Amino acid sequence: MLVAPAVVILVVLRLWPLLLGVNFSFTGDGDRNGAAVGLGNYVELLHDPLFRTALRNVGILVLLLPVAVAIPGLLATFIFLRVPGHQFFRSVYFFPAVLSPVIIGAIFNLLLAVDGPLNTVLGSVGLEPVDWLGDSRIAIFTVVAVHIWATFGMALVVFLSGFATLDQTLLDAARVDGASTPQVIWHVIIPGLSRTIQFVFVTTMIGMLTSMFGLLFVMTSGGPGGSTYLPEYYIWIQQGQMNRPALASAASTVLFLIMLAVGLAQIALLRRGTREE
Amino acid sequence: MPGLRLSRWVVALPMAALALATIYPWLFTANIAVKSQRDYILDRFAVSRSVNWENVDTAWTSGGMARYFVNSLVIVTAAVLLLLLIGSMAGFALSQVRFRGSRMLFLGFLAALFIPFQVIMVPLARTMADVGLIDTYPGLILAYVAQFLPFTIYLMASYYSAIPTEIVDAARIDGNSLYGVYRRIMLPLGTPALLSIGILDALFCWNDVLIALLMMPSSEHRTLMVGITSLRGQYSNDIPSFAAGVLIAAGPVLAIYLVFQRRIGEAITAGSMKG
Repeated sequence: MLVAPAVVILVVLRLWPLLLGVNFSFTGDGDRNGAAVGLGNYVELLHDPLFRTALRNVGILVLLLPVAVAIPGLLATFIFLRVPGHQFFRSVYFFPAVLSPVIIGAIFNLLLAVDGPLNTVLGSVGLEPVDWLGDSRIAIFTVVAVHIWATFGMALVVFLSGFATLDQTLLDAARVDGASTPQVIWHVIIPGLSRTIQFVFVTTMIGMLTSMFGLLFVMTSGGPGGSTYLPEYYIWIQQGQMNRPALASAASTVLFLIMLAVGLAQIALLRRGTREE
Repeated sequence: MPGLRLSRWVVALPMAALALATIYPWLFTANIAVKSQRDYILDRFAVSRSVNWENVDTAWTSGGMARYFVNSLVIVTAAVLLLLLIGSMAGFALSQVRFRGSRMLFLGFLAALFIPFQVIMVPLARTMADVGLIDTYPGLILAYVAQFLPFTIYLMASYYSAIPTEIVDAARIDGNSLYGVYRRIMLPLGTPALLSIGILDALFCWNDVLIALLMMPSSEHRTLMVGITSLRGQYSNDIPSFAAGVLIAAGPVLAIYLVFQRRIGEAITAGSMKG
């Protein structure tokens, strides 16, 4: 059958590992390898300062999510309204989105160095240099900002394709009635794009939860002082460096539950959206 | 909109600044990559007076980028071909052929989209080690196929679902097997989608670092992206060579982007429209 190869690959290499991992998270590491430990790993996670920082950072990501959606949304609106140079902006903004986080991170390591270009610019207007990646209060925000810089082009393209489905007569009517640009955005564009906006919210959240590893690996290695840990980085460290696969599996399960919550929130929002229509 | 003329420029200026902020990092890196060590230490910002290919040479040969490049090329090519073959077969079957449980199966593939790699990486690494596929080309290729297959199937199925089912019915009446219909009709018809989705899959595989780190621990099997991370330690005192290595790794992506920009955008939005 034509679907057989796909089914075999996905069952063996995705579904089976998922079940294996959940099962694994209830067993011990090292000397207690394979022995049942109940919720032991989960209790250890809750008491591990690094994992708690990882969860706190997930909270920061959720708080910054509206910003990460609003930036491409606004830029797409202006490009749609044919700001001068809109075609040029479109292709320039999208480019970082096709690059590996490793390359982005490597370049930003150079840009954000204490004696690098950004601090030189700050210095030229009389500001103190900032230790963007070495200060544990700032580093996570720096990494998230770079992530947003690197990925907003993707959401921008999705927004623009949403604009293509907008009812042009509605826009024209609003303008004839003398609506200002902010009014057009608020009363015509945002309601007309509600599905696209929801889609971007969910994909941006998933991106923040699952595709920042490369940046963390290159830019901070989770530091300084563990302040830039995210669940995916924690899983990698416990599995690859600390030889604690069972503990890593427990962290994986927690990450999966977070993702599931995001997915369910999306479905709930979609339901509400369709009922209103 | 004459009344908007002024406000349009008010918006365009910050947008131009942002565009500059998107381009500048590349100019900065390229400028460093062609500087001599001495010029870099003297002044890293000044525009390089000469174009120095030594750094590219250093990164390419003694930095090991040549080997990493070949590794990436072999792995990504194999993974993308497999993804397109398996993905188009499944996409065709799921969108054009009604069989018992086909709807359930499609939903199952959709659900697989939401299993992130981080969630299955620990048991997957263990299973791969058990069957001796850790640190081998086939192991990483299989891991990539498993990772990007749900996405590939989903996009292929939505492309094929726009083709009228009468074509399949007619071909079946003419005595073609289901496989024959796929080979002779669906595969050629799917060329535009195969190209767009193939480009996206290639970018995903080329850019990945986590899966490659996990599946390829030894240094001679490193992919280009993992290579970049090791280059950083190796040349921490020779930033121009490191910058040259970064540009080598970004080069193919830049080339693909310049040629296929529109196609990449369309492929991404094809996924979002159905979502």
